[in-house]
Amino acid sequence: MDVNIDVVIVGHVDHGKSTLIGRLLYDSETLPEDKLDEIQIILEEYRKQFQFAYFLDSFEEEFKEERTIDTTRVMFKGRNYYTIIDVPGHTEFIKNMLTGACHAQIASLVVSASDGIQEQTGRHAFLIHMLGIKTVLVAINKMDLVDYSQAAFEKIKDETANLLASLGFSVTVFVPISAIEGDNIYTPSERMDWYHGPTLVQALDETEPEAASEKPLRFVVQDVYHLDAEKVTVGRIECGTMRKGEELVFQPSGVRGKVHKIIDFPEEVTDGKAGDSIGIVVGYETRRGDVGGHIETPPKSVDRFLGEVVLIEGTLKRGDVFSIKCGTNRGECLVEEIRERINSETGEVIEENSTEVSKNEAATVVFKTPPMVVDNFSEIPQLGRFVLTRDGRNVALGIVLESMV
Amino acid sequence: MLDLKELENESIYMLRESCAEFKKPAVLWSMGKDSTAVLWLCRKAFFGKIPFPVIHIDTSYKFKQMYQFRSKLVEEWGLDLLVTRNEEALRDGVGPHIEDKLDCCTKLKTEALKNCLDTYGFDALILAIRRDEHGIRAKERYFSPRDENFQWNYKDQPLEMWEHFQGLTGIRTHMRVHPILHWRELDVWEYVKKEGIPTNPMYFARNGKRYRSLGCEPCTAPVESSANTVNKIVDELRTTKVAERSGRAQDKEKAFIMQKLRALGYM
Repeated sequence: MDVNIDVVIVGHVDHGKSTLIGRLLYDSETLPEDKLDEIQIILEEYRKQFQFAYFLDSFEEEFKEERTIDTTRVMFKGRNYYTIIDVPGHTEFIKNMLTGACHAQIASLVVSASDGIQEQTGRHAFLIHMLGIKTVLVAINKMDLVDYSQAAFEKIKDETANLLASLGFSVTVFVPISAIEGDNIYTPSERMDWYHGPTLVQALDETEPEAASEKPLRFVVQDVYHLDAEKVTVGRIECGTMRKGEELVFQPSGVRGKVHKIIDFPEEVTDGKAGDSIGIVVGYETRRGDVGGHIETPPKSVDRFLGEVVLIEGTLKRGDVFSIKCGTNRGECLVEEIRERINSETGEVIEENSTEVSKNEAATVVFKTPPMVVDNFSEIPQLGRFVLTRDGRNVALGIVLESMV
Repeated sequence: MLDLKELENESIYMLRESCAEFKKPAVLWSMGKDSTAVLWLCRKAFFGKIPFPVIHIDTSYKFKQMYQFRSKLVEEWGLDLLVTRNEEALRDGVGPHIEDKLDCCTKLKTEALKNCLDTYGFDALILAIRRDEHGIRAKERYFSPRDENFQWNYKDQPLEMWEHFQGLTGIRTHMRVHPILHWRELDVWEYVKKEGIPTNPMYFARNGKRYRSLGCEPCTAPVESSANTVNKIVDELRTTKVAERSGRAQDKEKAFIMQKLRALGYM
């Protein structure tokens, strides 16, 4: 079986994220035969010069305006399979950046050697840290614009290392690249003999995936189906394992009892593991929004927790009510307290005990909720992440810092 | 190949979410490999019986073999089949012979589907598109709303974090659900192989050619291939450099035509 690793390429606008991916596809001969012809037709129609980013972007607006608007993904094969996630670098498209980045296990932060750290360099780094991405490979791009100078590379490297350290990352890989010229992405550069480290693809291939740690069972209930004589509770095991015959407790409904059957249609099975979408027969009433777990390590229902949020649209004020969704549980929540308002470019606290948070800012917030199961994001991410919805739109994302406050 | 069990688990999760979050879902079926695989996943998600209608948009220009395949599975799987056609456009002579492919696809597919939605009031449509088929489809969300004019507002797509898909925000809107968006062509065939999913015979090579992607007969061309079994197709896809939709005329006529089609509500 091939391993697939999702890699998001982040960084400030025009620092060369899409160009890097286009170059990677080209140099590794990943593109289909007719892709160049297809691009050629468009170039002629719009009287444009070729750019590597065109291997990737697809909206007409993106092509004309020469910027990425929404996230996209391409597959690339190195030692592993990689799904490379391209995201926009403009501040107005943060929601699209997050939509792409939330699926990644690894990030590559692109910083221009000629431009240095800019607004979205910091914000993207802050956001991927919050999303729980621990592995970051830094690509110092546009080395061609600084004459492939080691001094220029070291300067930007130090600045970026400081920024990442201040956000809590420990990063060791910094690769000097030129996406336009193809240096050190797929092919080792001959123009930087002072650099002895890996190419970006080698660095990716050398990255060891995090070992999965043992976690308590969390079975998230999606629905209950009434089939013939049986009621089948369907859902997903987010973490841990479940065996037939075990005693489970479901929160917030509070019911408990034995697992009579585990169904992975059309088969009946004896156990289930993390990731499995299964049906179980338990002989008592569960409902959507419930989370099942073992008696010894039960899911805990809370009605208040401390979270960290990033606001994507509008404002978030003390006393505001949002719809919150965590797992499959949805309910109304109240913003009871805004403990800190945080600059999402730097991670710095702007103000303590605030009354209002603006778009693109982060904050630590105490939420009052109906009874729902949440876990600390650092322990069980699947039940420690949530969205806030207003007028039907997802306007903020958040992670649970402390489930009991 | 990716982990097929993992892909299946994720798709089943999304299908069950569609049923839990929407009042009146339906699934689209073109009799191609992808949407047939989605029907297979629906049968798994809902314990053997698909609890909503299966819509076939019939342009009347489909291959004869596709209609035979349709009848066979409707009976075997007990599908609640709903066939929709834009009879008015067909009466007016719209067809692949007309100048503008965008117009033909829009009238015979997009508008036929719109009429069906207006009649039955579905609020979620499950579709078997995949990111690696086309750059425009790669830009999609798993849960992607269409507005009251049936249009895809691709400039303002929802914030879609983890498994927290955004719902609908207005009346007369509907959701497009894409449960195999992240699967690749190879994954679909590996899954067909592993599960023994029935396959439209047109995918298998005859006289040195086979169909990689199936559309309307006049606008679909076969590619050169000797793969005449599922196993051989899987082997072929591991090495080919030919794009999957290279035989589909509507993708190629003009720059960004797929974007224009999809903005209007095309699949």
